[in-house]
Amino acid sequence: MSVDAKERPLTPATEPFAEPLAELDRQRARALQMGGAEKLAKRKAEGTLNARERLDHLLDAGTFKESGLLARSARPEARAKTPADGKVAGFGKIDGRWVGIVSNDFTVMGASSAAINGKKMKHIKDVSTQRGMPLVFLGESTGARMPDRMGAIGRSILGQDRYEYRRMRETPWVTAQLGDCYGSSTWYACMADYVVMRKGATMAVASSRVTSLAISQPVDKEDLGGWKLHTAISGLVDVAVDTDQQALDLAKKFLSYLPSHSNQAPPTYPVPEGSDEPIKDILKLVPESRTQVYDMRRVIKTIADKDSVFELKPGFGRAVVTALARLDGRTVGFIGNNPMFKGGAVDPDGCAKVTGFLVLCDSFNIPIVMLVDVPGFLIGIEGERRGAPGKIINWMNALALCTVPKISVILRKSYGQAYLNMGGGRNSDEVALWPTADLGFMDPRTGVNVVYGIREEDDPALFKQKVEELSRDTSAWDLAVLYEAQEVLDPRDTRQYLIDMIEVHRLRMTNCVGEHLMRTWPTSFG
Amino acid sequence: MAEVKVASEITGSVWKIVANIGDKVVEEDTLIILESMKMEIPILAPEAGTVKEIRVKEGEPISEGDVAVILEK
Repeated sequence: MSVDAKERPLTPATEPFAEPLAELDRQRARALQMGGAEKLAKRKAEGTLNARERLDHLLDAGTFKESGLLARSARPEARAKTPADGKVAGFGKIDGRWVGIVSNDFTVMGASSAAINGKKMKHIKDVSTQRGMPLVFLGESTGARMPDRMGAIGRSILGQDRYEYRRMRETPWVTAQLGDCYGSSTWYACMADYVVMRKGATMAVASSRVTSLAISQPVDKEDLGGWKLHTAISGLVDVAVDTDQQALDLAKKFLSYLPSHSNQAPPTYPVPEGSDEPIKDILKLVPESRTQVYDMRRVIKTIADKDSVFELKPGFGRAVVTALARLDGRTVGFIGNNPMFKGGAVDPDGCAKVTGFLVLCDSFNIPIVMLVDVPGFLIGIEGERRGAPGKIINWMNALALCTVPKISVILRKSYGQAYLNMGGGRNSDEVALWPTADLGFMDPRTGVNVVYGIREEDDPALFKQKVEELSRDTSAWDLAVLYEAQEVLDPRDTRQYLIDMIEVHRLRMTNCVGEHLMRTWPTSFG
Repeated sequence: MAEVKVASEITGSVWKIVANIGDKVVEEDTLIILESMKMEIPILAPEAGTVKEIRVKEGEPISEGDVAVILEK
């Protein structure tokens, strides 16, 4: 709350305003009891923070300005048991910057969504997006409150805000899923730019109990909407952690890379000492032979400012890495193929992940760096069934709509259509090559089979000759001659090259603000 | 003891079996190396555990989704 009643001496009963002020204190104190001592003690014993402790952990000390502490249920019979109507809302600061925040209080009727707390959420959301503050949503709610939402009266309070689910990316939205999340907690997570989940939390359309009743068979909570499902299969959650505190720390860290709103450049940070050192050893990280794999996440860590890499969706679509990081103190978005998984061949999940990441970066004025080592898109019946071509072209469309600077560095392979998706040609502002770059349309050994119908086992000598023929004209030198790449780099110069090119391409005319052509794109592409 | 089935994410052939039964592994340790798309692609441990069973042999083909190793947590 904005005023701490405990710090102010009681107004003597003979003074003006004595009774109304005493009543104000009483009402505030009752609201702060939340769902009652017993429920709060149970949570504490389970090691879970309550809605107000979560705010204390996340926000800068003493900055929370509560909105609607005294709000309660619109139904008189439920009024006594609905402090703050189950959703603690307001404004506060994270790392010195204002945010709007809603923290679900599960001890109050399971933080179920009802008329008054719906008004609170709408207010915080409207103020945050209109005044240029990030919105933080701490999810833990059972869904729609019953019987409030039943019957004709229920309909009359539902859906009264035509813009409730309109996301225009005016400001960053972050969600932490910290318990059972059904209904609004799930919907808001699906509209967010970043979602972190505590292991043990669940996120689904409806609870396992409701789902079980609907399909007449038992449903396990973890199977229905646990962290493994959402970080590896649905891709709706970026990352899962063990505790509430870790989840809140990651939400805070994510916001450190982003501006408060879309008409601002991201904040800059001092460059940690030693940031220029790791790149000197990069030649040991990437094998020269294209048959051997390596972990692109280590390459990104080597290039970026020390300890600045923040990977998004690390367990989903793993053949491609998406990570926020800093270069010379400024936020950049890295997209890197990862040969460690599926040889770096991008599957439909990977495509969806990159598309979402491009939308995020472009919407919040974050330059993009692509690190390329891609044998192509993963081909096969399963991918086609999942609409792989549509996802490939979504990515391509997103890349074409990006107005932030895009720099592409080709480390080794860049084959087929994936060459374009990873910024080849004029699909990025600058293309640099390592001397190991290989830019054929496909692996030459496969190409010999496709073009000439010759298999190695049929005629090894002829096969070798044709492989050599097809391998010509695919080197870094060939592309550099045609100015299809603007630079061939000693790999050890990659960090400095990227710092320089991002500075060259800085959006000076608009104070680093892009056009945000994808601000209305969907918030999930899975 | 919970079991973790470790499946191949990709179709190819088993090039080298790195792990031995009884080995204790940590997350992202290499268990098997496949040959696929002209590359040596590892199957990694998804979490820490002990290698209980290896279901593939070197030189054998393997399909996406085939279980190659069973870990015991």
